[in-house]
Amino acid sequence: MDALVLQDVRKSYGTREAVHGISLKVHEGEIYGLIGHNGAGKTTTLRMISTLLRITSGSISVYGHDVSSEPDEVRKIISYLPEDAGAYKDLTGRAYLQFMASFFASGPERDAMVEKGITLADLGDRIDSKVDTYSKGMMRRLLIARAIMPSPKLAILDEVTSGLDVINSYEIREIIRSIAAGGVTVVMSSHNMFEVDMLCDRVGMIDQGNLILEGTPTDLKREYGMDTLEEVFVKAVRG
Amino acid sequence: MSHLSSIVRKELKELLTPGSVISVLVMVFLFAGMGGLIGGEVEKASELPSFGLVADDTDYYEGWNPYQYLVSQYGDQSDKVVLMESQYGDEEAIIAEMQEKGISSVLALPAADDFRMSIESGIQVVVEQYYLFEPTGMFGTISSSLATSIVAMLNTDLSEILISGMSEDADYAFLTSPLVSSGDDVKTVIDGVAHEGVTPAEIANTISSQTLMIPIVIMIVIVMIGSIVISSIGSEKENKTLETLLTLPIKRTTIVSGKIVASAIVGLVYGLAYMVGMSFYMGSLMSPASVGNVDLAALGMSLDMVDWVLILISMFLSIICALGICMVLGAFAKNYKSAQTMTMPLSILAMVPMFVIMFSGWYGAGAVVQGITFAIPFSHPMMAMQALMYGDVTLVVAGIAYMLVFALATILVTVKLYNSDILITGLGQNKTLQRLTGKS
Repeated sequence: MDALVLQDVRKSYGTREAVHGISLKVHEGEIYGLIGHNGAGKTTTLRMISTLLRITSGSISVYGHDVSSEPDEVRKIISYLPEDAGAYKDLTGRAYLQFMASFFASGPERDAMVEKGITLADLGDRIDSKVDTYSKGMMRRLLIARAIMPSPKLAILDEVTSGLDVINSYEIREIIRSIAAGGVTVVMSSHNMFEVDMLCDRVGMIDQGNLILEGTPTDLKREYGMDTLEEVFVKAVRG
Repeated sequence: MSHLSSIVRKELKELLTPGSVISVLVMVFLFAGMGGLIGGEVEKASELPSFGLVADDTDYYEGWNPYQYLVSQYGDQSDKVVLMESQYGDEEAIIAEMQEKGISSVLALPAADDFRMSIESGIQVVVEQYYLFEPTGMFGTISSSLATSIVAMLNTDLSEILISGMSEDADYAFLTSPLVSSGDDVKTVIDGVAHEGVTPAEIANTISSQTLMIPIVIMIVIVMIGSIVISSIGSEKENKTLETLLTLPIKRTTIVSGKIVASAIVGLVYGLAYMVGMSFYMGSLMSPASVGNVDLAALGMSLDMVDWVLILISMFLSIICALGICMVLGAFAKNYKSAQTMTMPLSILAMVPMFVIMFSGWYGAGAVVQGITFAIPFSHPMMAMQALMYGDVTLVVAGIAYMLVFALATILVTVKLYNSDILITGLGQNKTLQRLTGKS
């Protein structure tokens, strides 16, 4: 089953069109990577999938629910983690997870969800420290735990390891890999081609609002005769 | 030097944003307008008001005619001295004539024969003062002290005549003050009922001393909670917690309502805390030891439970309106810093009615100023207490109805904004703005 279907999706900001008719499909349980340079239209696309931005034309369907006509249904099955997202600084990590879990469940179910989040965040005693005392790595772990704990069908992760050190990046990639193995579909954007190469089942490359190529990392490297996805990216963009 | 100038240029560029410059310009216009308002009020107060005289246009004593004397004193504005048809001592007739002719202050002298008889007998003549009480602003009651000055003028003029013909055994106390007008001789009419021994100026001063702090407190509370809400939205945008919140399975109306209700509670707590503080302050002002205060309850101007409920409703709704405006403004803020600039329009909106009500008062303001004041929702709790003291329930209820409509409208606009792209993209991507600025 297709978890996510984009059909000729366009997005205009005023007179400027940022996304020019993107069409793609993401299969259930797949990790799909969106790559492209800054301003290419990746975040705009992810925001449209997440119901944050309205689509100018075309359609997006998440597990059969149309993003424009059924945004409430879509929000029940997705989790969106924006780039450089933060948490409420006056809360502790635990209180933040409890606050977020309260929108998905109540009673023992909510408590179980929070425990799952705490385990995923793996912050030890610091889960009871205030969020504003967290390092960037700790914050990211908390936020990814928040995104995953409600067991979404589709996780949308924008630059999830941006600015993190090697260990934190590695651990977050492991988490993504494990949730995908558990059946969660992941759509992520990244500038780190090494990460995309290792993690994603398929990759879509966006340039100036157009989807210019799509395929598995192996197929793309073979097609372009390159050793790395980074080289594919450069060649595809520069022509 | 070049390093210093580079840093200075960078700092100036950061500090002198269009928002901050516009804010300063608006403040300049606001203070200029306020100066004009106060100047207008003082000018209005210093004009000679129409003034009624109950007397005969005849010789009262040795060629002294009080009416002709006052007409000569008024000079070019002699038409403002109105000779009343009512008779001295006929309180009901005098009040009816005042109401009919729209004259707010009257001096009443006895008939010429009675007057002459008293003077010749060395008995002080009682001059009665009548006032129709009219709610005014800070300077509006200055004119009501005019009657007292006129009594003094008449006294001096008559005294000169008496002294010029004095004998050796003359009563100098009488000669220097042949007319007397004090205490029960002063009557102020409120809602058709004459109250003795109190002037409109004294009543207005007492009401002002009890209500003057309210506009300031309301202004502070609104600016404070406004700042909290706009900054909260700006902070949510900067930390991208808002993006997360908007993708959760909750309705946008729930998010908007949650923010408004929580902020309204905080605003009410702040407001009540200020009111409690103010009540201590007012308590000390209104203590029995304080001089010059009028017993407003005796004049039927005290507030009952219904009035207090109306004031509280008015306060609560004004806070909701403020929050509605803040939610709309906050939607356009890109981050915490730009959110801070967004509070300026709210502060100005809160300051305009505060100054109008403090200096001119609702009742003393012209139609245009009244229109502007009414349109600003924060005006209503600022003037509710005074209006209720004056018995003007209609104004307060109309204000509450207006605020209810205003609050609903702002909440609807907020929900619409929360469902739009503006919340995420800000105004930079707005089609209309792009067309206006010619950006593509």
